[in-house]
Amino acid sequence: MKKQNPQAEKLRNAEPGPERMTETQNQAETEKTAQEGTTAETGKNAEAKKPETSKSREGSPAKKKKGNAYQRRQNRLGYLFMLPWIIGFVIFTLFPFIATIYLSFTDVRATILGWEINFSGLSNYITAFFKNVEFVPALLDFLAMIIPYTFVVIIVSFIIAYLMSRLTKFRGVFRTIYFLPVIIMSGPVMSQILDAGVSEHAEQVSRYDGLFIMNMIESYSPQFAHTLGGVLDELAVILWFTGIPIVLFINGLQKINPSLFEAAKIDSANSWQILWKITIPMIRPIALVCTIFTIAQLGTYDTNPVYGLIKTATGNMNGGLGYAATYAWIYSLVVLLIIGIAFLIFRDRKEKKKGVRA
Amino acid sequence: MKKKNRAANLLPRIQKLLIYFVLICISFVFLQPIFRIISKTFMSTADVIDPAVEWLPKKFSLGNLKVAANVLKLSKTLRNSILFSGVLAICQTTVSALTGYALSRFRFRLKNFWFVMILLAFIIPVPVLMIPRLMMFVSFQETIHVSLIGTPIPQVLMALLGQGVYSTVLILIFNNFFNMIPHVLDEAAMIDGAGPLKVFYYVVVRMSLSTILVVFLFSFVWNWNETYITGTLLKNSIELLPSKLSLFNSEFDSVASASGSAFKINEAYKMAATFISIAPLLVLYAFVQKRFIQGIENTGITGE
Repeated sequence: MKKQNPQAEKLRNAEPGPERMTETQNQAETEKTAQEGTTAETGKNAEAKKPETSKSREGSPAKKKKGNAYQRRQNRLGYLFMLPWIIGFVIFTLFPFIATIYLSFTDVRATILGWEINFSGLSNYITAFFKNVEFVPALLDFLAMIIPYTFVVIIVSFIIAYLMSRLTKFRGVFRTIYFLPVIIMSGPVMSQILDAGVSEHAEQVSRYDGLFIMNMIESYSPQFAHTLGGVLDELAVILWFTGIPIVLFINGLQKINPSLFEAAKIDSANSWQILWKITIPMIRPIALVCTIFTIAQLGTYDTNPVYGLIKTATGNMNGGLGYAATYAWIYSLVVLLIIGIAFLIFRDRKEKKKGVRA
Repeated sequence: MKKKNRAANLLPRIQKLLIYFVLICISFVFLQPIFRIISKTFMSTADVIDPAVEWLPKKFSLGNLKVAANVLKLSKTLRNSILFSGVLAICQTTVSALTGYALSRFRFRLKNFWFVMILLAFIIPVPVLMIPRLMMFVSFQETIHVSLIGTPIPQVLMALLGQGVYSTVLILIFNNFFNMIPHVLDEAAMIDGAGPLKVFYYVVVRMSLSTILVVFLFSFVWNWNETYITGTLLKNSIELLPSKLSLFNSEFDSVASASGSAFKINEAYKMAATFISIAPLLVLYAFVQKRFIQGIENTGITGE
């Protein structure tokens, strides 16, 4: 192999000793993974190699070899830098994920000899859904929280980002303010703030009581006025989740090619039309990222009712871990489902458009 | 002619003023909880009960802060928290930089696959991973007879292998920034005989110090604010500021009964404790905010 690619050999000689060592160790790893992945990856590989193959077609066979050496070097270096993450991913993410699915069907007990895992079929699931009185309401509470919150967060953050992108001055100040919650937001802090809000409620029902509009709404339906007041009270806390989506949206808005706007203006589109016909379609992928991020962030929100259940079940080392795994697995299934739905919402329209074009 | 121009200029100006107005209003909504925390913190007990006092306390008092700091064991927990988050943040930053560099520079096999995996690692909810992780660490500590649960080791290990809090975001920030550094620089260094790690250190790392700072800060702050993983693996054996805050009510009662005083918990004490636990982050933000925003701009967020 060394004789085959003098170019790579030269490059390798230029490197200091210890690095070469790690590289050769890594090479084995690379080749192993490469062998595993050859069948699944043929499509992607073809894509990655396209530029090289077109080059080598023009040149002599000797150049083709060089291209291979280049690819091998890229593989080796890529995996050298990726290695810590890949090891961590396999040990701490991939394996636990699969293990939880298995554990959700078992009864786990801590013994002196280690973990005693007995297969117990669907009994954990039956307990979770039918015997445990707390789990299903907690899950429903969670759904009732995450869906409206996500909508509000995405829409509000897009509006803020859109407004900010039209400014030239003081943008930094606003960004500083809107980003501040990202820095200080944590479960305990949030629950303290929400607690304070609740106790204030007890004193004066709602801070929006005196408002004329609220009185009007209340005269029609006190129930609705109450929930509206509650949403407005929590609005500040909901807004705190918009910090990162705002930044992502501004990022996306500025990446849109300005010539598109110019073209639309020349075609005498007004800014409202430009917003709907150009800005929003262009920003859709970022909206997807923001949605996923928001769901993930809301999921790790400390006052999340399901978390409490999982925590207490995890704390019970004698027989609780199996249930905890079941709860966690159902919970993540729900979260992944929501993310999947969000994905479909943002994907579907794109494909429809493609269909129209075709 | 001139008049017409003025009229044409007026409309965008009004529009802009309107935008400023709306954004300022939103800013107030954003900051309102923080204002409330701060105002309650400095209220005296009489002001807390007095319904006439809404925002500005009649008499400034530092009593609440003193009590809360005492209950939180401030000097100890603050040091612990800074050390703990700092170490985790350093580990996370290093690994994220390496991974982001790999993704931005090398066209290796299965790259797209790993990229998708990095994104998936973010989507998977943490609780689903925590139970096997906990079991792994427990059985591991039993085989090597060194206690791991209740020490920061598991979390450091996870951070070192790129599985810390929101690692995906950190990797993406680095990836985004490294994509903007011209490849020509790498190639020039390589032609001059630098190996890949040398290129990484002398060219890429040196150029991205502000990004590194930003990622470090993000990581520091997220590790500071993270309570679920910490609560499961560390189990309050090292007293950290946020976890103390979540136990504030019961801690307050125990301290009050131990000292035999007739202190009763009220809103002001709680808010003072909350203020203390976010104050270090606020100070951090105030000091490095400029670098922070610059760093965000460098990561391509404004793209100017």
